[in-house]
Amino acid sequence: MSDPLSAHLKQLIVETLRLEDVKPEDIQDNVPLIGSGLSLDSIDAVELVLKFEKEFGIKIRSSEESRQALASVSSLAAFIRQHADPARLPT
Amino acid sequence: MYSSNHDSVRLAAWGCVTPLGDAAGTVAALLRGERALQAVPVLGREGGDPVPLALLGGRALDETAPPSWMATIKSRFRPVQEDGWGRPRRPVFVTSSNFGVGCLYAYRRSGDLTFLRYGALPNCVEWLRRELGWGESVTVYSHACVSAHLGLLQASRMIQAGLADEALVFSFDFLSPFVAGGFHALKILNADFPAPYQVRATGSIGLGDGAAFAVLARDRGDFAVLAQSLHNEMHHFTANRADGSGFTTCLAPVATAAAGRRLWLKGHGTGTLEAGRLECEAFARVFPGAPLVGWKGSLGHTLGSCGLVELALAVEAMRAGRTPGTVGSAAPVFADSVALESFANGAYDGVVCASNAFGGSHAAFLLGHA
Repeated sequence: MSDPLSAHLKQLIVETLRLEDVKPEDIQDNVPLIGSGLSLDSIDAVELVLKFEKEFGIKIRSSEESRQALASVSSLAAFIRQHADPARLPT
Repeated sequence: MYSSNHDSVRLAAWGCVTPLGDAAGTVAALLRGERALQAVPVLGREGGDPVPLALLGGRALDETAPPSWMATIKSRFRPVQEDGWGRPRRPVFVTSSNFGVGCLYAYRRSGDLTFLRYGALPNCVEWLRRELGWGESVTVYSHACVSAHLGLLQASRMIQAGLADEALVFSFDFLSPFVAGGFHALKILNADFPAPYQVRATGSIGLGDGAAFAVLARDRGDFAVLAQSLHNEMHHFTANRADGSGFTTCLAPVATAAAGRRLWLKGHGTGTLEAGRLECEAFARVFPGAPLVGWKGSLGHTLGSCGLVELALAVEAMRAGRTPGTVGSAAPVFADSVALESFANGAYDGVVCASNAFGGSHAAFLLGHA
């Protein structure tokens, strides 16, 4: 059964970037989001960071931290669990 | 790539303004190790995270209508207001990366239509032209953070081709919440102060106000731009080729023109990690043993104007006989060639100044005595 946070993140990625040919369930948990895998670029990364900061009330402090967090859906979920108020996480 | 090393052009006049003063004042402050950057809320009066910004004395980050920096330009840049600029055989080249874009955002925030007189490139340039008394021959170049280099090169070509007697290159970029907010969204402008070329866990840049001018002439002036190079990797909007070949390709023709000279190097050095490392490595490959400095750890990145601001500072450093070190940085650094401290430059006979930009653009020129 899919992790609710990971599923929600995939939904947000598709909606935020208006990915017409990708469904949330197509995104694998451990596949790189940027550069290869989903083939998102750094402009996409900016949009995602702003969306996640607003959605979960978190702060991503540097481009290196951004790159690390956005490595995959799994790493993103781990970062958000570590930094977000648990009350803001989907259950 | 475009490179020119056949005909040099002389610098008949130059100048810049930074938060540390004019060109000579800024060099003196850098030699003292002063840092202009201060922690300022990224969105100005609307607050936000504090980030390192260097603003002209007394200027707030928020836009005013008309922009408050014009008074500084008028009082400090007398040569750009001489009669005859923008008229036949005395063209003006204006360069900036953002022109009046901050005013567009100010209009959006305030609803005040007055801001639209200064927002957007055509309005901003027309306002400059009227305020500074220029004629109709005003050409505009905007190519992110190599904008000033592009204007310098095109002005040089006009001189070299005999199409102009003298040319004025004017470059400016003043900060606004729009610009600071954009870089903050990228996370390269963050709470940390920049430390160009320093090895550390996370990179960061600072941003600064800056404006500069150069009057180019065929046979007037003691200093000359001896060679210039522009190159675009055509690789990625925001990333350089991982092997650093874009940097090397741009520097190579300048190295050819500089053969036999003892050089020091003024790099771009914004404080980002990957680009800083690639730049260091490329300089070390192309100009082995030459000391490398960067000044954005103090002044912040003045964006499209940085090439011309730092040209004026490099000339003043040569006149002063001492080159400011890489203010704001400490060991360890990416290459042994990075000079953290100031050094006497009397034994050198030229400086290579380089800038890099979003979109894989690289630019460099060789500066020396005419």
